Amino acid sequence: MSRIEREELPFDIVFVGAGPASLAGALHLANLVKAHNASGGKLGEIEIAVIEKGAEVGAHGLSGAVMDPKALAELMPDFLERGCPVEAPVGEDAVMYLTGSSKFTLPITPPPLNNHGYYVVSLARLLRWMAPICEEAGVNVFPEFPGQSLLYDGDQVVGVRTGDKGIDKHGQPKENFEPGVDLLAKVVVLGEGPRGTLTKELTSRMNLDRRSDPQVYALGVKEIWELPDDRLAAGTVYHTLGFPHSSETFGGGFLYMMNDRLLDIGLVTGLDCQDPQIDPHHEFQRFKTHPWIAGLLDGGKMIGYGAKAIPEGGYYSIPRLHTGGALIVGDSGSLLNGQRLKGLHLAMKSGMLAAETIFDALVADDYSMDAMLRYSQKVKSSWIETELHEVRNFHQGFEKGRMAGVVTTGISFMTRGVFPQRLPIHAGHLRMKTLTEYYGRTDVKKYDMKFDGKLTFDKVTDVYHSGASHDEDQPCHLKVVDTTICTDRCTKEFGNPCERFCPAAVYEMVGAAEERRLQINFSNCVHCKTCDILDPYQIINWTPPEGGGGPNYKRM
Amino acid sequence: MKIVVCIKQVPRRDDLLRINADKTWVDEASLSFEANESDTYALEEALRLKEKHGGEVVVATLGAADASKTIKEALAKGADRAIHMCDAPLVGLDAVATARSLAAAIGPESPDLIFTGLQSDDLGYGQTGVLLAEMLGLPHASIVIALETSEDGATVRAKRELENGWFQWVSMKTPALLTIQSGINKPRYASLKGIMGAKKKPVDMKTASDLGLGADALTSREAIGTLYIPVREKQTEMLEGDADTVAAALVSRLRDNGII
Repeated sequence: MSRIEREELPFDIVFVGAGPASLAGALHLANLVKAHNASGGKLGEIEIAVIEKGAEVGAHGLSGAVMDPKALAELMPDFLERGCPVEAPVGEDAVMYLTGSSKFTLPITPPPLNNHGYYVVSLARLLRWMAPICEEAGVNVFPEFPGQSLLYDGDQVVGVRTGDKGIDKHGQPKENFEPGVDLLAKVVVLGEGPRGTLTKELTSRMNLDRRSDPQVYALGVKEIWELPDDRLAAGTVYHTLGFPHSSETFGGGFLYMMNDRLLDIGLVTGLDCQDPQIDPHHEFQRFKTHPWIAGLLDGGKMIGYGAKAIPEGGYYSIPRLHTGGALIVGDSGSLLNGQRLKGLHLAMKSGMLAAETIFDALVADDYSMDAMLRYSQKVKSSWIETELHEVRNFHQGFEKGRMAGVVTTGISFMTRGVFPQRLPIHAGHLRMKTLTEYYGRTDVKKYDMKFDGKLTFDKVTDVYHSGASHDEDQPCHLKVVDTTICTDRCTKEFGNPCERFCPAAVYEMVGAAEERRLQINFSNCVHCKTCDILDPYQIINWTPPEGGGGPNYKRM
Repeated sequence: MKIVVCIKQVPRRDDLLRINADKTWVDEASLSFEANESDTYALEEALRLKEKHGGEVVVATLGAADASKTIKEALAKGADRAIHMCDAPLVGLDAVATARSLAAAIGPESPDLIFTGLQSDDLGYGQTGVLLAEMLGLPHASIVIALETSEDGATVRAKRELENGWFQWVSMKTPALLTIQSGINKPRYASLKGIMGAKKKPVDMKTASDLGLGADALTSREAIGTLYIPVREKQTEMLEGDADTVAAALVSRLRDNGII
């Protein structure tokens, strides 16, 4: 394409990704500016924008979720009175250990998993409730506009370029081509969730992870089931360990009961296990065949599906969260407590701390690296630091398998995280072993389960229930640098793990012998980011598709 | 040239439909909504005519408060203002009562052209536009897949899609009403600047009483009795015996089932 004329739209602050961190941050900032102006301050009108790649706010919002309301209560003490759509306060709360055929309920719920005083929520619903509140406060919320790249002046971030729309599959502009625009901003806040596109770009350019451990991820695969009766009370929360995971695999299951007889059921599988054959979606299907779970689901109907990566690295994987003109919030910044299985409160709090930093920067009219450093300092002196520091060795313990992990977690709890030494951690794609290393042979087929279409579903059926869709006439948004690696090396070495780790059947090796090649069914993509994370050669680059594409989560 | 475009907000086509508790409609709480597909083509066609002839594009929508999302999108794409008929008695009407409501709101505007989509993606009556034309005493053409206007905008020539690969060109003087088929053009995207600008565009909220519509005018002549997902049933019964026995058995089966 010839050079594109791009419009520049000046804003003051741009948040990328309308998740809990950005929406809490944008609202907090709007409130701070309003209070300042009302008491005679000179800031005047501050234009705040939140851009979001989903078709609407919440469409890409997926979490368990049990929410610790700590941050939301700081932002909006009357959140319940204002109609916050919590499903139910947590009621029965138990942790089970599953073997293939039975379950053992832990006699006491481990303190980090004690959820009393918290709420079962649907993140997709929570975000849909927060967005109009932000808009009422004067924030501009723009769904269907992904952040494509960052704009710089030297090393100072000065804005975001949104994605182009109306490009055909050959990369040519269509009749309705609408070029992305340059949103100029004094500060850009990256709240893209795990493995954010712009966060990845900024981290690499500014070496933000120079002093931190690599990030490790898990993949949460989840369905929503409509149960035929009131067999579980709203607010019931169960966590499981054990089946279906082997003892070396990090992860566990969750069952959270919402209203309307709707059950969240999901399985978290570490994206750092050594087995190149691991298939988190398949593990989740096996999970549901456990007699206890199959019994709970009996007579019910699966009505929703989704998947999303979870940053599990924790404290030591937190990159530098600031640079000149930009801040990183929420999951993008590794601000998630893997031990408590919670990130919503940390995301919201980080967004609010970003807002406070930005407010000070606006007053001082200084957006330099030094001014932004205040954000990292605020995080350090907040309860985010206290909470994440105590569980700083949680995930590391699991690198040696479940037993080691449980022991480490126990010690960690008693000593508030103190270990003789800092435990090492490794990025998932580096831990994956080749077929020969792991199995001693290459003709391996780990799974042979048949999906019955009632209790267990194949990926394509599940994806249909995620509401995922993309305009097919656009360039594939999953950029594979060199597909000859797929056939020449990967088939032999790892057996094309993309076919299995992707929970949406996006990657498929098709054709026989000489004709064999990678086919990318990008329209299935649920934006979980697993391919970008786990591909052992790191040749898959997840980029945002045309705005509005992706899953359409309603109650996830 | 003043063009009114009727736009309806409907459930997203690829959403999973679930029937509500009293089996009269789909459960809307679990759905996302968007502008009716053919209406978006109607809007695009209107915006192109405005670019050619100048004038104004007005959006008319009947629907609950949350239809404002669809109205804002139309304004962001370039419509100048909107009329939102938002009132409990105006929601869930049949095609006649809907057309009557639209006529009451659009009539006083005296537009040169009125565009509707061919049909709605949810109810699919395909009648609202045609009824509206009759109520306003305007000529109309339905299923329009191409459109030409004279330089002065006084006449329009429309290509209609007929059955089986046949087409028809019709000409008429404005004011007129056209129901637009999907695919007539390539609808534009709302730009960010357009979305910002849409906030300042006027949306005229109308209730049934503002439009002078009483209960009589708004009585639907039809209602959905029960909504259900078609049950796939197939039964085969083999009748055994010689021809006479089989014929007799067949006749008695047909009688039993009230077919003859």
